[in-house]
This record gives sequence, C-alpha cells and structure tokens, in this order.
Amino acid sequence: MAKNNEYNKVSVLVVGAGPAGLACAIQLKSEKPEIDVCVIDKSAEPGNHNLSGAVLEAEALHRLLDSAAAGWRDSDRCQDVLGKKVEKDNVMFFLGKKLSFNIFFIINLAKRLGLNFGQMIHKGDYIVSISKLTRWLGQIAKELGVEVLPGFAGADIILDGSNGKAAGVKLVDQGLDREGGKLPNFVEGEVINSRFVVLAEGCDGLLTEQFIEKAGLQRQSPQLYSVGVKEIIKVSSEQYEKFGDDRVVHAMGYPIWTPFVGPGMFGGGICYPVGDDHIAVGMIVGADWKYCDFNPQDALTNFKNHRFIKNFIDGGEVVEAGAKMIPEGGYNAVPRDAGSGTIGKGNVLILGDSAGFVNMLKIKGLHNAIDSGMKAGQAIAETFDRPETAAARYTEMIEQSNVMEEMRSAKNFRQTVAKFGPLQGMPISILGGLLPKFNVEKDFEAMTIAGYRPEPNQQFDKDTFTAMAATEHREEQPSHLTILDPEVCRTKCTPLFNSPCITFCPAGVYETIHDEVEPANASNCLHCKTCQRKCPFDNIRWTVPEGGGGPRYKRM
Amino acid sequence: MSDYIVLVKQVPDVTQITDNAFDVETGTLVRSRLASVINELDSQALAFANEMRRSSSGKDGKVIALTMGPPMAEEVLRYSLSRCADIVVLLTDRSLAGADTVATANPLAFAVRKIVKDILKGSSDYYVVSGMQSVDGDTAQVPPQIAEELGLPCIAYVTGAEFKNKRFEFTRIISGGSQVVAAKELPAVITVAKYEYPLFATFAASRQANRTEIIRWGSDDIKASHTGVTGSKTSVIRVFPPGKSTRKCQQVGDAKSLAKLLVDSFKSSEAQAAEGAETKTKRYTLPGKRADRFDRSFEGTKKENDSYKFLAGKLKELNITEVGQIDESCKEKILAVSKDYFRKKALEDMINGLQLTGPSYTGEVWVMAEHSDGEMHPATFELIGKARELADSLETKVGVAIAGYEIEPIAKELIAAGADNIYIIEDKLLSEFDPTAHRKAIADAISRYWPQIVLYAATPQGRMLAPMVSYRVGCGLTADCTGLNIKDSSRNGQIGILLQTRPALGGNVMATIRTKNSKSQMATARPGVMKRLPADESRKGKVIRHKVELSKDDVSLEILKTELGTGEVNFEADVIVSGGKGMQNRDNYERLVNLLCSGLSKRLDTEVERGASRAAVEQGFIERVHQVGQTGTSIGPKIYIALGISGAIQHMIGVANTETIVAINSDPNAPIFKQCDYYVVGSVEDNIPQLVQALQES
Repeated sequence: MAKNNEYNKVSVLVVGAGPAGLACAIQLKSEKPEIDVCVIDKSAEPGNHNLSGAVLEAEALHRLLDSAAAGWRDSDRCQDVLGKKVEKDNVMFFLGKKLSFNIFFIINLAKRLGLNFGQMIHKGDYIVSISKLTRWLGQIAKELGVEVLPGFAGADIILDGSNGKAAGVKLVDQGLDREGGKLPNFVEGEVINSRFVVLAEGCDGLLTEQFIEKAGLQRQSPQLYSVGVKEIIKVSSEQYEKFGDDRVVHAMGYPIWTPFVGPGMFGGGICYPVGDDHIAVGMIVGADWKYCDFNPQDALTNFKNHRFIKNFIDGGEVVEAGAKMIPEGGYNAVPRDAGSGTIGKGNVLILGDSAGFVNMLKIKGLHNAIDSGMKAGQAIAETFDRPETAAARYTEMIEQSNVMEEMRSAKNFRQTVAKFGPLQGMPISILGGLLPKFNVEKDFEAMTIAGYRPEPNQQFDKDTFTAMAATEHREEQPSHLTILDPEVCRTKCTPLFNSPCITFCPAGVYETIHDEVEPANASNCLHCKTCQRKCPFDNIRWTVPEGGGGPRYKRM
Repeated sequence: MSDYIVLVKQVPDVTQITDNAFDVETGTLVRSRLASVINELDSQALAFANEMRRSSSGKDGKVIALTMGPPMAEEVLRYSLSRCADIVVLLTDRSLAGADTVATANPLAFAVRKIVKDILKGSSDYYVVSGMQSVDGDTAQVPPQIAEELGLPCIAYVTGAEFKNKRFEFTRIISGGSQVVAAKELPAVITVAKYEYPLFATFAASRQANRTEIIRWGSDDIKASHTGVTGSKTSVIRVFPPGKSTRKCQQVGDAKSLAKLLVDSFKSSEAQAAEGAETKTKRYTLPGKRADRFDRSFEGTKKENDSYKFLAGKLKELNITEVGQIDESCKEKILAVSKDYFRKKALEDMINGLQLTGPSYTGEVWVMAEHSDGEMHPATFELIGKARELADSLETKVGVAIAGYEIEPIAKELIAAGADNIYIIEDKLLSEFDPTAHRKAIADAISRYWPQIVLYAATPQGRMLAPMVSYRVGCGLTADCTGLNIKDSSRNGQIGILLQTRPALGGNVMATIRTKNSKSQMATARPGVMKRLPADESRKGKVIRHKVELSKDDVSLEILKTELGTGEVNFEADVIVSGGKGMQNRDNYERLVNLLCSGLSKRLDTEVERGASRAAVEQGFIERVHQVGQTGTSIGPKIYIALGISGAIQHMIGVANTETIVAINSDPNAPIFKQCDYYVVGSVEDNIPQLVQALQES
C-alpha cells in the first residue's frame, strides 16, 4: 500500500491514453526524460476504447516514431499495425439495394481542380486498427518511461480558484453500490495534483466539457457529431482475396441518403480489410438525423445487404463490434478561451478529438490527434517553468501547423451539409472557407416524428452486437447514466417520439421498466455517448463509470 | 498480528476468447493469443487476506504476494502491490516450467519456507492464503499439497472469516452446506472460494508498485525436491476440443408431449452421463486375453492404434505368429514400407511393447468413500460403478476405503453397489471430517495395500483430501475427471494404464492425462458423470479392518458449527427453471416458477433450483444470486427450462453446458428458439399449469 502521498503529485497528467494523449506523452518524454508524465485512461488496457475506420495519413505518426522509437520500422509490431496501405480507393454511390456507381473520378477531378473535397483521396495511407495502434503507442510510451496507468477514470477537473489554473484531477470513486452506499472495498477517488493537465479524452470528453464550462471556454458554433458503428467480419479466404488487402471502400447514398425521395442523412458506409480473412464494415451517420425510429445499426445492416458489400461478406461471422461518436463541427467548434483564443487555458491543453480536430473533407482526425499531441508535448517541454503559458504556446504551434490549415480548409463543410442537407449542401460546400459562419442547431434539436425504417429489420440483434464489443462493467455500481427529468420522458418524449433512446442506443442500455424509461442496462454501455447528444430533450447525462469498465476492442 | 503469504497466479483470460484463439489444425486453444490476467479467485484471496489483516487490527502484519511463473508473471505481483501487498516474490526458473500440481506445490512450499525464514524471521504466526483454484488448471490441488508439504492444516473453500477471541473463525463450504472452523494452531493454509469485494487499485499505489523491487528467486534459491517436468507425476498426452453439442430446436405443440420429452430427456441423460466426454467403445481387455496376439487396439492415441494396426497387418503378411520370430530382415522389410507410420527406433519400441501382455500396475481398484452422518454421498456409488468396470477389465478387485467412526453398517450397502473388499478405518478421532487426521488414516491404508487405482469424488471434501493423500504417498493425481479409461501405451512399455480425461481452461479444451513415477494412479471424478450400478443385495464381499495410530495432535481443525442445506442457491441441481422478463412481475415469477419447480421435483425425484435472467433480476423478480448467465453463474444441469427468456447471447453462454434446454416464450422470433432443444411458443401463464398437470399424469 502506498503510504506516501507524494505519488499523488505529478508534473504532467494526461487524461486519456488514445493516440493524442500518448503522442503528447511520448513527445514530451523523449524531449525531456526527467519530467514525470502520467497517462490515465478509463479503459482496462490502452486501445480497449478506441474505435475508428481507420485510414491513417502517415506523416505525423512517422515524425513521432522517428524521434521517439529508433528502429521502429523493423519491429514486428510495426508490421502488425502498419502492414497495409491503400492502393485501391473506391468511392461509391449506392442507389437502392443493388445499384452502385464508382464516383472516384469526381473526387479525382475535384482534386485536380483544387476543390476542397479533393482531399478525400486516401491512396498511400495506412489501413490501421486504432485499437492496435493505440496499444503499440502505449508500449512505446512505457518503454520511454511514461507511466501509463489504465483503469483510472477522471471524474472532475479541479481548478485552482486563485489564479484560474487547473490544480489537478479527481478520480472516480470505486466500490459504491447501486444506491451509492460504500462497499467494504470502497476507495474514494484520489485527487491527483498536477502542474499540467492534458485533456485527450476523445470525443465529447467528460473533463473537457466540464473544463470548457468552468473555465469559460467557448465554441463559435456548437459541436456536431456523427455516430459510427462498426463490425469486423470473418469471411472466407476467397472473399477476402476478392476484396484485397489494399482496398478501401467509402460509399455514399443508400441506405441513409437517396436524392429527392429520402431518407436524407449525412454520412456513409465504409468497408476495409483487417487482415487474416477479416473485413471491417461500418456506417457513419450524422447525429442530426431527424427520424425518431432510426438507429445507425439498422443502416449498417442494410448497407451490409447492399449487393456490392454483400458480395464480400455474405455468410461471414461477426467477431467484433462497437460504436463511437466523431466530433465533426470542425474549425468553428474548437473550444477556445473567450479572451485569448487558446485551445485550453493556462496549464490545461485540449487535444485531438476532445478539441474536435477532425478534418471532415478527409473524414480523418487520427493524424491531427497525433500531431496535436506532439505539439502539446513540445509546448509543455518549452513552458515547463511557466505552466500558465502552456496553452498559449500550444495554441500558437497548432495555429501554424498543418492541423489548423486543414481545419480551416474544411471549415464549413459539415455545417453546410447540416444546413442545406446532403444534396444541396455538398455542392455549396465547394465554396468552403468563403462562406460565413452558420448558425446551426445542435444535433439533438433535429429530431422529428418522421420515420426511417424502409423495412423492418429482422436480422439485426442488438444483444449479439453488444456481446461482440465484449463490454463489461461491475454490475453493482451507481448507474453512470442519468435521466435528468423522468417527467420529460413520460409526458413529452414517449408520447411524441416513442423514446428514441431505446432504439438508437447501440447497446440497448435503455428500456421501459414499469412505464418508465431507464438506463436499465448501464453495464452494457459502449461509452459512445450518443444518448447524451441525441436525446431529443437533452435529458440524458453520461458520466464515467468505475475505471476498467467499458468495451474491450481488440482490432477495431 | 499475523502475516499473510498470498499465492497469486497469472492465467489466460478465458472469459475473452477471440475467434483466432483456437488452433485451426488441432482445435485447441492457443494460450499466447489470450490476454494474461490474475486468476480471479486469487484477486479475491488477496482482498480476503487484506480484510483479515484489517478486521484483526493487525495493520502491521505484512501481506506478501508469491507467484511462480515465467518472467511476465511479475504483472500479477504489480497487481498485488497496487492493491495491498507490501512485499512480492517471483519464483521463476526454466527448470520449474512444465510442472503438474505436485511439481508446482513443491517449489511453492519451499518458497514459503524461505519467505518465513528470510522475511518473517522464522515466525509461525502467518497464514498462507490463495484462491481455491485457478481458471486454467481448475484442479484446486496446489494449496492442499502445499499444506501437506509444509505439514500445515488446510482450510479449503472458505467464504468468510470472523476475528473472535483473538483468533479467526472461518466459514467454509462443505458438501451440501457450510461449516465454521478454526485452526488449532498457526500457521495454516486457507483457500478462498468466494469473496465478493476484490480490491481496487489506487493511483498512488500503482505508481509505487512500478517502483517497488520484486524479489526474484530461481531454483537454486529454494532447492525444491520436485520441480518441472521431471518432478511431475502426471503428464498430458492429448489435448482436444470438447465435443460441440448441437441443439435440436424442435417445436412442441402441447403440454403432454413436452412433459413426456422432459421425463425422457432426464432419464436418458442419466443413462448417457455414465461415459462422460469419451464415447464408449468396446470394453478393454488385457493384451494377453485378446484373440489376436498382435491386437493393440487399445492404445491411448489414434496414431498409435493406426501404427499397431499397420504393424499387425505386415506381420501377418510375413506369416509371423510370435514376437520372437521377428528378426532383423523382417524388420527391414517392414521399415521399407512403413515410412508414413514409423521409423527404426519406433519400430523397436513397438516390438518391445508387443512382448508385454500383463498390466503395468498391480493391485485393486479403490474408491474412497465419502459419507456424513452415516449416509453415503451418491458420488461414492457412481465411483464404485466405474471402479467395477475398470477392475473387471484389469481382472482385479474393487476395494472401497472408508474412514470414520461406527461406520461398519455401511459396508453392506457398498458391497451391494459393486465392491469386493471394504477397508474400514475406524477411530473416534475420525468421526468428523478433519483433513489432517483423515489424510493420515487413508494414506496409511493406501501405502499398506497399494491399490493400482484410487478414485475420489470431486466434491469439496474429495478435492481437498485427495491432493493431500496423493502428495503424502508420492503419487500423481488428476482432478475433476469426466472420463476414465483403461488403455495401453505399448510403445512406452505401459499396459492397462488409467487414462484420465478432464476439461481444462474453463471447459474450452479437454485434456487426457496419464500418471507417471507413481505406485498408484489417482483421480478425482466429477459427481454425476459416472454411472452407478443397480444394487445387488446378493453380492458377497469382505470387510477388512485397518488400524491406524491416531492421536489428538493429528486433528488440526476445531469444528465449531455445521449447517447443512442452507438457503443458498444450488446451481448443481439436475434441473434448473429460470424466469425472464416475460414473467411480467414478481408475483407471476414466484407463482409459476415455483409451481413448475415443485411439479418437476416430484415427477423426476430430483432437486430443482430456480434461476433468472439478468433482466428478471433487474426487474426485481428475484435476488441476484439466482442470476444465470455470463454475468451471473454459468451452469450445466441436465435440464434447463427458460421461461419468458429471449436468449441473449450472454445468457446462452452461461447455460451452454446444459444437456437439454427447453424454452417457453410467447414471442415466435425469440432467439432462444434457435439455441434450445425443445420449445413452446405461447404464454407462460397458460403453458405452465398445463405442463405441471401433464407431468403429474404422465
């Protein structure tokens, strides 16, 4: 037992062991090995909570590894994680259940004309599993002497009242029963005092959003989200060979968007090779969908049944599944200090998806997450003696970097589509950065009584999907999901929309029990937080459960 | 102020088996593809030790975590440090690898000795605490064997400890109930069966753990007497995937047919259970008794059988009738055509094997009887049935050893069940089960008569006694067998040996094991798997009294209280009836589930337990202890009846070992219908009363 509370003091505390947080820790530790850096994560192992396509633009990662892990190219891990590159880049448009058109030439043309959505070309990028990549980065960080401590969830960020800096982070209490009573193994959440706090929690971070609120940061335009659902399917060797190890498929249109007749949702499907006769399929849908009976998994099932995709996966077995949100608000949704414009404030830096560094034109954020992590690492190294200037230095570096250049060029894309709908929005978006800032509604405000279901879906089984995410929480703990006002569910949401959370939650957390909508199966939660952003009455709050819980993605 | 030496083990995470974890060729689990974690019961043991330290106000007592394993096993020591351990010791050496339970317990016991000497300065005020068993080995043998090596009392299957009058009173599980005991003296070995509050890591302790030096010892540091492969007394000869059962998915229209199917399934499952994992082929006969001189069709592996079949064919072609006639030229001829089967060395071995016709072991086949209050445990009769079969094959007698006080009247019943000789070890000190006294008495009898096979029931008592006895008499022991067969391993010069088949790695693989370097072959067998014979009152047998010198000092435990048949949930019951969300409310659940339970219990004359799906527990229909499934308790009864349960995968995984699954659900699309044997589409309210009625009438 630790008898020495010196261990509750660290120089740099990174919240979130994802690509951004680990890149920050790796960069900092390789520049200044004498600084103690701790990375905490709510998952049981780094990589467990990371889910992405993913197509990775390599430049930032190469830069990071070159400086921190000599000889990385020759390691087995490298071959395992970075063994596949995009050679064939299919951009498809699906019309109905059978028709498909390769529209790559349009993207190619756009690129030649210098139009912004020409950025969608992926050739030469890595096809990676972000869970594996994260696990590898975690290993590299540890080898450098970074203290990577998974299983610790941050509950609260503590500000130092006197000067507006952050004093540290309070961890989640462990060992409470359902009613919040203390069990014999109760451990009160420790307070970790830290000179710097790096918020790299990923999309819709709990501490990040708390900090934005407490420290008076602002977004010019509300953050917009998409929900991604993904499955890894074991297929036959013939099917895998037919698909190829070097092809990525991005598909627009059916089943979420058909011009003129609807449905009209933003997003698309993906189909990537995973290796070892496994293929990943996914569906990404803008969370501003208006159909109260819609669930992205429904769309994924329809997508899988489209002739083009079915060809590769028919008869296969789903071996892993998961869901996650993507922050898509872009440049105008980056949280900044109202006065100074810093991304973070004082000694607190906000990185990666927590800051919203996703380039919607490329549909990628991973490279920006890594890049922003490296900038944060450099900024802390430079300002170590003046922690209060770290956020300013970090912001300055980000502004001059490729990260912000990309963010600027993709500035209004998502908002344009949100405002005008996919059909008109996409062409208008060509004007990109020229357009003024839009006033866009928040995702949850988009809900209507319209129905989506083109046909009832017999095949999809939510319980099986959840089981394939291998999610687990200690059952006897207070629910980490709260319905703020049950009256709203009873008198407004259920009569009007028929409680959409029951449908859209990918893990089936919500159920009606004794005529009340409740997060009855909180232990199934995949930590995607869709409920918090999509409840039509903004009536659900997600907090962090005990550390170590949640999904256990292996190859996502 | 006691100190605590906690034994922790690193195991593969069998709860997270991925689709690539199985070897395509052999169908077996590739351990390296699974994540490594601390054995869950050991994490509970660690918390239990910490709680003992706390409740006895012994905060200066040390918690010392000890593990044996490859260098990466240090992770479980870091785990221990980040919870409550003060000192950690890693016992790692190549020469320790490949050990069975004897060769694991032995070095661990020597390491405990060294800890006591070096760290505890020779104190005897300490407990050795460990989880009851590990999920990979599942044997529960190592802790009692450590106790045996160290000569300490062992309190197994502990679920609670209370500090009273300056000592601990432990609650432990016994067959059919629980018991409160105290060790007469310290040190003592405790194995924890369940402690619900494993400790959480703290941030500070985790950081400190990464900076704490781990004490590393190798073989030379502890100088153990039995280590590694050479020190082991059993070896695994084959690992194979468990047979996958396929469900019938048959819809049943009316209550009458369902009642009949239930009764039939129950009866046929009792009949089938006899042979366990391996299907019954023809009865073993010793090579000398076989019609064909060269018939070696009882080898332990298929490859060996094929090789011998090939050899026999060739010998016949060459007109050879006696082993002596096989000369060099003859061998050349065989080798010239036998490339696919064997080469020269193997052929020599096989021919040597052919010369052997008598059994490698001699002596009777023994069963260790288990009884309480003059009543035999049913498993004893099942074992006698199995022993009868083995003994007939080996042309020897069935002996039953029974230790206790005033037990002679039982002998008749045992003879009727199939025994020839009853060995009675009687002493007042044996009137209650004390592991130390009983193991001394039984080991004494074994080393007097040396039976060739000794079978124990894999009950809490058997799984505690057998490891101590086998360790004491220097024999190998295989735990919790579901298959016991006599086979040859002619090439290795072994004829008529006992092959012991058991599930391992949480039931994900089956392993066949043989005994080596032992005078007797020992196994514990899972209750309910072997088949008892119908009692034959006319059988004759002999009663042999064996006298053992016992004194009060041989009794190590003080039994303070025994409670049988407490209100605990008995998921070992043959039939389990579960209700799900489809039961609507608590009243319905209680009324209908209880109705069916009592109906079945009467008709089938067996114990029926109530279970529930997670949803039903969530809705408050019944207490959480009744929850069946991946997150509740995994069960494997003969019959499982799911009422109003949809069949979520988490639930179905937890009942996968059931022999017959029956589902009643009003939703025709319920996924459970694709994963059960018989189902009825309809409401539980209508169907259950009808079914109970039909059961009564059938």
